[in-house]
Amino acid sequence: MAFNLTRRRFLQSASLAAVSVPLAKVVSAETGLVESPLEAKGSLKEETVPGGVCEMCFWRCQLVGKRREGRLIKLEGNPKSIDNGSQICARGNAGIQLLYDPDRLKYPLKNVGERGNPVWKRISWDEALTECTTRLKGVIDKYGPQGISVFPHGSTAKYPMHFFERTVGTHNVSEASFFQCRGIRDTAYLATIGKAPGEKVDMPNAKAILLVGSHIGENIHVSHVKAYIQGLQNGAKLIVVDPRYSASAAKADIWVKIKPGTDTAFLLAIMNYLVQNKKFDADFIDNYADGFDEFAAGIKDWTIEKAAAECDVPAAQIKEVAELLAANAPHVSVHPGRHVSWYGNDFQRQRSLACLTALLGAYYVKGGWVPGKGPKVGGISWAKHDHGVEHNLNYDEDEERRYPYSPPGTPTELIRDAALTGKPYPIKGCVIWGQNPIQTIPGQEKMKEVLKQMDFVMCVDVMPTDATMWADILLPEVSYLERYDHIQTGTQWDFSEKNQQYIAARMPLVEPMFERKDQVFITNAIATGLGHKEEIPVQTAEEMVEKNLAVAGLSLKQLREEGGIHIQEGKDPYGVPEDFEVRLYNEDIEDYGFPGVPTYIPVEQPPAGYARLLYGRVPVHTFNRSQNNAWLHQAMPSNPVWINDETAKKMGLKDGDTVGLINSEGFKSRTTTTVKVTPGIRKDAVYMAHGYGSTNPLLSVAVNSGVDDQSLITKIAVDPETGAHGMRNNFVKLIKDDKVLDIPA
Amino acid sequence: MQYAMIIDLERCVGCHACTIACKAEWEVPVEFGRNWVRRLGPSLVNNEMASTYYPGLCNHCKEPACVPECPADTVETTFTNPKTGEKIVQEIAATWKDPIDGTVQVDKSRCLGCGACADACPYGARYVNPALTDDVSSDGKIDKCTFCKPRVDAGATPACVQTCITGARIFGDLDDDKSEVAAYVKKQAKGIEPNGGSLGPNVLYYGKKKDIDLLFATSTPELADLGMVRRRSMLASLGRSVEKSVKSLGLLGIAGSLLAASATHEDDDSK
Repeated sequence: MAFNLTRRRFLQSASLAAVSVPLAKVVSAETGLVESPLEAKGSLKEETVPGGVCEMCFWRCQLVGKRREGRLIKLEGNPKSIDNGSQICARGNAGIQLLYDPDRLKYPLKNVGERGNPVWKRISWDEALTECTTRLKGVIDKYGPQGISVFPHGSTAKYPMHFFERTVGTHNVSEASFFQCRGIRDTAYLATIGKAPGEKVDMPNAKAILLVGSHIGENIHVSHVKAYIQGLQNGAKLIVVDPRYSASAAKADIWVKIKPGTDTAFLLAIMNYLVQNKKFDADFIDNYADGFDEFAAGIKDWTIEKAAAECDVPAAQIKEVAELLAANAPHVSVHPGRHVSWYGNDFQRQRSLACLTALLGAYYVKGGWVPGKGPKVGGISWAKHDHGVEHNLNYDEDEERRYPYSPPGTPTELIRDAALTGKPYPIKGCVIWGQNPIQTIPGQEKMKEVLKQMDFVMCVDVMPTDATMWADILLPEVSYLERYDHIQTGTQWDFSEKNQQYIAARMPLVEPMFERKDQVFITNAIATGLGHKEEIPVQTAEEMVEKNLAVAGLSLKQLREEGGIHIQEGKDPYGVPEDFEVRLYNEDIEDYGFPGVPTYIPVEQPPAGYARLLYGRVPVHTFNRSQNNAWLHQAMPSNPVWINDETAKKMGLKDGDTVGLINSEGFKSRTTTTVKVTPGIRKDAVYMAHGYGSTNPLLSVAVNSGVDDQSLITKIAVDPETGAHGMRNNFVKLIKDDKVLDIPA
Repeated sequence: MQYAMIIDLERCVGCHACTIACKAEWEVPVEFGRNWVRRLGPSLVNNEMASTYYPGLCNHCKEPACVPECPADTVETTFTNPKTGEKIVQEIAATWKDPIDGTVQVDKSRCLGCGACADACPYGARYVNPALTDDVSSDGKIDKCTFCKPRVDAGATPACVQTCITGARIFGDLDDDKSEVAAYVKKQAKGIEPNGGSLGPNVLYYGKKKDIDLLFATSTPELADLGMVRRRSMLASLGRSVEKSVKSLGLLGIAGSLLAASATHEDDDSK
């Protein structure tokens, strides 16, 4: 065509000429701005819908939605919030892209291909639910309730998890948040101070903050980050212990570039130094601690010099850290961490952190560990029944626990081994609800074998994942913006402010689209099909929330009228409770055959030519759940592998080179990424962000973007006290231009 | 009045809340951004390890490099100071520096989509949004940070400032001695001036010395080659003149419009 017009331009020109848009526009005298139909309208004047509670991660910031013609156009922090305030993070802001992601699950699907290589057929809810109940019933009738395994994650998974655990009666529930994340921390602190610690350190009012591995900044939870930055702004000294110059290390006064796996040795030397030099809080120890003498004797060999050699850090630096902690005691935030399933020696490290906090007298005191006093709401769910321990894999023939400090549920590896061996009994049914065990649990191939041998696998999720590819029936769930469920409670984020408590229930901001359903609908239908209709605790998710609010004297109506958040007077968070006790030496742990005084257990070191694979977070992703979010993906589309600059030079690698990875067991990454060459990492380790490299072709944004670190974590470590996984004991080489490159020491 | 933004790198954790909130607020296409966050380092700066961020956006410069390059015809415009009622009349093209509040703005309806201003900006703070077209430009329209002028004029804060989880972004009037932004200037917050330039950027960075050193060492841009910029804008201007003259003839109908549009595109192709 002579005029060189594309079809699109032809249509545009034609339509515009027909409308005859005037060229001159009236300029607003007020602002000088022109009202143009091409200008985005902005959200300011749109309808504000309160009642959102974020679930782009588990921190659950309180939201409002901005709605235009029934469609959410923006999410913001609820200005009434005393937790996150008007602020939400990148992921929170990107919730819109999850809500309207064209790749989201829309209808119940049946796999008419094979597991792992699915061919999906759209079916009705009736057919899907009938199939789920019939086939689950088949497993239960043949193998007993213990034949069912459950892999749940997120606030919607609680209701179905309780159904399978309490009503159906299987113990075989593996929550990733416990066994691949924080379970070790919780049970180690329970064994030391009788409480799970959360991340409840009073950082805004601390004089010193100790982070062992926590990389706040790459790891974002809004009120937590606010507390951390407020503490630093108030002058707190920051000590960061990390093999890598993390986002936190970049803000630190002292960066301890520790050899991976040796953190416990470092902590023991600090505690021994405090004890030997009488720089600990003797009054606090007298009043609240138990077993000090055994403890002091048990750690006495850990001189600073011994730890310096073990941890590969200067002795002077360990002493400097110890002195700094002592000088600022008791106002020290010894952060308990969150994802702590690292090396398979983690229970003892977490115990050490709890004991160090005690030596500094840093419990229930300004700047220390302060849990705060939040309000109570109800927790209505399926009624509990005693199902005995006969089919509990964590109990041996003598009814002794194999992993005495296991978090709730059954250690993942016990479930997988039983499934693969059929001993002590077969596990042939699998319910995956909101979890992605393929990218979450180490040993992908093992997980696939577990799923292959099942009689039935059902998945419930919002998005397709690498795990949903293994489902027989795949059910679409409503997102956190379209449903009722969780009630978030807490206090003001900074304890130096007026003491307040808040209660915020998750309420839908928009109507669900397509045929997505919520957890109560799906679970109740399955329960009915399995003959448990009489035991159903609530008919709808809304009823569940209403009843849980009633415990606090509230209703949904009132909460809506109050802008989505109820705020009431709070309580002074400081002051040690009378019955508080710290078990520095714990005889029970010893009776189970483990060290009763915190003890360092060395881990395997990388063989020649390999570096240890470390992984962590980026601020724009939550685990592997947000990979397909277009906005978040665009912010960080890949996960470069960090390598020490001197090492890279020896290998002939330049920043930005494309590489693959191969581990010491011969597992190769399917995809490639780039190298980030930096002095900010040790030579014996490489690092990459977790949560990339999905294989699911239904994720049109995420598929094959970056490298899946979990595919390289095949050597499985299990923490002996807890049964939780350790995931940082895998060693890798890099592959460039099809050549495997040794990583020099 | 001169609106300005402080980026406090002591507070910034590089979380990208600002960039994503901006995308939502102003319907910015996925592949573009009115603002950005780049992670810098870890690198050695004067033998000291450092890592920080470059949260960037339009600098709303004192002497913007972009504004003089706009080839669109000018329009006489009256700007009124909402506080004093003072009026300023000014000839402006499709992009201008607001004489009242000091922000740099765009009139998309008059934008030719030529991208000259984007090429002239040393910071890369402008982009052509190809999704926005009309009879003036089928190539798209320029888009950039407005300091959230519509929100600010209505009494709200910019979307990025509102969502900033650590309070690292601070917005205000530099000319107001009592403002928080002015206080940061007294603490030596400074803008990133291009090499050899004197644009007077009004996004000012504050932080630890090693972080500021790293930021300026890695993120100081070069001035654009204005010769190249002008050649492109001249071509766009030529094409536009044809279009405008055809339009001004009145109702030529579809055929006339097609002629005009194709003339513009042939000019584009000849580049």
